Amino acid sequence: MLSRQEEFLMAVILVVEDDVFIREVAEMMIQDWGHQTLSASDVDEALVFLRSPQHIDGLFTDIYLKTAVHGGCDLAHQAVALRPKLPVLYTTGNNITDKMKALLIEGMHFLSKPYTQHQLQNAVDELLAA
Amino acid sequence: MSDTHIAKKPVSDIAASDIVETVPSALLILDRNLIITSANRAFYQTFRTSPSETEGCLIYALGNRQWDITALRTLLESVIPHRASVEGFEVEHDFPTIGRRTMLVNARKIFSPGDHDGSILLAIEDVSEERAARAESKRNWQLTKSIVDTIRDPLVVLEDDMTIVTASKAFLTIFGITEAETRGRRVSELLQHQWDVPALRHLMEKVLPENKPFESFEIEDNFPGLGRRVFNLNARKISQPGNHAHRMLLVFEDITDRKQRERDALSLTNEISHRIKNNLQVIVGLIAYEAKWTAAPCVQGYKTMQARIGAIAQLYDLISQTSRGRTVAVDAYLREIAKTMSESLLGNTSGIGIEVTAEPVEIDPDRAVPFGLLVNELTTNAIKHAFPNGSGNIMLCVEQIGDQIELVVSDDGIGMKDKDLAKSPEKRGSDYVAIFVRQLGGTIVPSKQETTGTIVRIRLPLLLVPSGAEPLAA
Repeated sequence: MLSRQEEFLMAVILVVEDDVFIREVAEMMIQDWGHQTLSASDVDEALVFLRSPQHIDGLFTDIYLKTAVHGGCDLAHQAVALRPKLPVLYTTGNNITDKMKALLIEGMHFLSKPYTQHQLQNAVDELLAA
Repeated sequence: MSDTHIAKKPVSDIAASDIVETVPSALLILDRNLIITSANRAFYQTFRTSPSETEGCLIYALGNRQWDITALRTLLESVIPHRASVEGFEVEHDFPTIGRRTMLVNARKIFSPGDHDGSILLAIEDVSEERAARAESKRNWQLTKSIVDTIRDPLVVLEDDMTIVTASKAFLTIFGITEAETRGRRVSELLQHQWDVPALRHLMEKVLPENKPFESFEIEDNFPGLGRRVFNLNARKISQPGNHAHRMLLVFEDITDRKQRERDALSLTNEISHRIKNNLQVIVGLIAYEAKWTAAPCVQGYKTMQARIGAIAQLYDLISQTSRGRTVAVDAYLREIAKTMSESLLGNTSGIGIEVTAEPVEIDPDRAVPFGLLVNELTTNAIKHAFPNGSGNIMLCVEQIGDQIELVVSDDGIGMKDKDLAKSPEKRGSDYVAIFVRQLGGTIVPSKQETTGTIVRIRLPLLLVPSGAEPLAA
């Protein structure tokens, strides 16, 4: 039987986060579990990867990206339009309002900030198992 | 009863004189020279006169010339000669015997066999009271309208078929339409159909039949000349005493500025929340990075630290959700804490339940975080240690006792032995509990430990909220 790490070995996760420290620590955690990460700080940088032939298994995006209050929501919609089966994991430090919920893609995953490595690992596992 | 016993008599068989004496209208018959040849009982009663004073008299000379009225002369001398009948000719006059009266006169030329000149039948109906009531109603309506026009909020009055009877000056001015464009039309038809909303129509349809007013129905849209606006609509039934007809008052409150302030405040809150959570995420990340290079026995300590930081972040959210002005509602706060802990630590399949019994008491926001951490610490301890078989109940209880709040966290688990406290993690947990209690200015009330379960009873001073306090800034 495969271990949890082997099961999702070397998945490629696109991490979109405008705070450099938070992004790099998140990437470090994800890489510790044997995955590969791609790094973007805003919607435009992320779209470069999404429009390229680069293989991507999942998108992990902050909702509030620089000045775009719902930038992560917009990005997720564009990402799914480009890659219809791409699973998305959202994160935010803001309260999730009904208005924000309406912007999320139905059935996608969500992780509140601040998250621990254990919570991120569970969320990424669920993302890849989807 | 069978039909054969009913005496049937067609109206045409009833003698004309019987009809004349029965009808409530005053009737007069004049010859071609306007001499009164006959009058009915209603005429004598209404005008307080008699047949001897009336019959054979020129109508203008009747009753000391009180019928010598210009309007009546016009009817009899100018209109009747050219028309076979006249209906609804209104005559208003001060009669010396009966005072000011408004009469509705119907006139018809009648011809008897052999009478080529013909006669004139006058039916006179006293409509003074009806006209007075109508005038009073008109005065009332004008008074109402003048009051309505002084109200700054735009409003309309609707008939029961939802058409507009009147629109206030403020309504016409703000929405840039004329009174003629509103009258008789539905609100949903005005402007560019901004009010044509099914939910609003549904509410409006219940106002009159069910006497069900509504308040604060919010509509946001672009309005010509105004730009984007938010209106709160309030509606209620209005009635006039003595009048069975009901109308609806629909008021439009422009809340655009208030809404914008709320949105700005929310935006600021979100911005602050975003920064705080990101900073906490940085701290959690720093700990995660340190833990990566730390010896295995110490890792649990780092994880516990991360969990407590996570608890502070959650409490921050809960405080913003349950704050009422300058205070935090403890009952709602406690329920949210229980819900969050159930979701994060227990999940749907857990055999451990958290129950909350709380009175509506309040604490100040400064003490809300240590209060939440205290509840979090005690509840986490119970979840971790009280139920080795994985099932049981934790009870969170808050009540006001005099000028104190009593918080009780209890469980029906295996109970706590003194030697447990000597173990380092539990010792640290109880140290934290003691610190939070001191921070809250409270005391731990000694409780007799039962053979099963654990109970921790804490008394905190009740917050005295100063009157007229400003709302808590978001």
